[in-house]
Amino acid sequence: MAKNVGPDPAENWEKQVRKGWLELAILASLWEEQLYGLDILRRLEAHSDLVLAEGTIYPILSRLKRDGLIESKWVESEAGHPRKYYWLTAAGRRRAAVMARYASTFLTRIQALIAPLLWKEER
Amino acid sequence: MNHPERLQTKIDAYLMQLRRSLGELPPEEVGEILQEIRGHILERAEASGELTEERLVAILKALGRPEEIAPLYQAESLVARARTSFSPSLVLRGALRWAMLSVWGFALFIAGLFGYGLALGLLFSGLGKIVAPHEIGAWLSPHGLSIGTQSDPGAREVLGWWLIPVGLGLGSVLLVGTTRFVRWALRFAKIRRPTGPRSPVSPRP
Repeated sequence: MAKNVGPDPAENWEKQVRKGWLELAILASLWEEQLYGLDILRRLEAHSDLVLAEGTIYPILSRLKRDGLIESKWVESEAGHPRKYYWLTAAGRRRAAVMARYASTFLTRIQALIAPLLWKEER
Repeated sequence: MNHPERLQTKIDAYLMQLRRSLGELPPEEVGEILQEIRGHILERAEASGELTEERLVAILKALGRPEEIAPLYQAESLVARARTSFSPSLVLRGALRWAMLSVWGFALFIAGLFGYGLALGLLFSGLGKIVAPHEIGAWLSPHGLSIGTQSDPGAREVLGWWLIPVGLGLGSVLLVGTTRFVRWALRFAKIRRPTGPRSPVSPRP
């Protein structure tokens, strides 16, 4: 997607951007149904390139749970090991909706701001 | 080369390293984390068809190094506990954890150390005045004000016995004040507060 602009600073910036969006992306992936960790990862992989180290989403899930935004339970699976399923709590749904509205407004505005840069690059 | 036991050993070694790195967390929490990560590895492995050693290495690499993942759990957990604790040690450890992640955390940790240091100094000088009234005092000398023992003959004692209530009182206030301040500041650490009606991310009207 993004061209690699340079060495460290740009890479670091991309990392920060990813980190900032990851929480919303996780909440969004749980909007329709309950999922377990790897399911969430697969969904994120399919729709974004947000995840760098896969293991980082588990601590985020654990924090979201502590903050009361998601809930979890262990479910036995035919895979032979139990899976930990997560779903949004009422507070989580509210928060996710607020974040989504903010993100959408934010994107529209920044899109207008950076449009000339993209145009210049295309030429 | 791809004996199942050999691959199993590799998985176990990864989980063992994770367990070691998670050290500070409560055991139940550690157990759950390990079970979840183990499930992740096994399921990724199953999805890859025949599991080879290269494939397993790739799975573990994609997951990230245990030493990198574990601190993420710890930072969240320790800072969360520190935010509501009255124990200076826990509060300061929470600040220290945050200090490793950001400049603000570092500044807070230094401020916390300074506050607790000054509080302890005052408390000890108040107690010291009771134990050794002639040696301990608040002294005014050409070099400025100092509290404790004094070797400069030109210094004169300013507070006298008042050092006891002032030291103990001010020390206690500073002790509680520092704890409250660090706890308050930890609210701005990586962890967000539980969601409320006023969310910090609400859009501009």
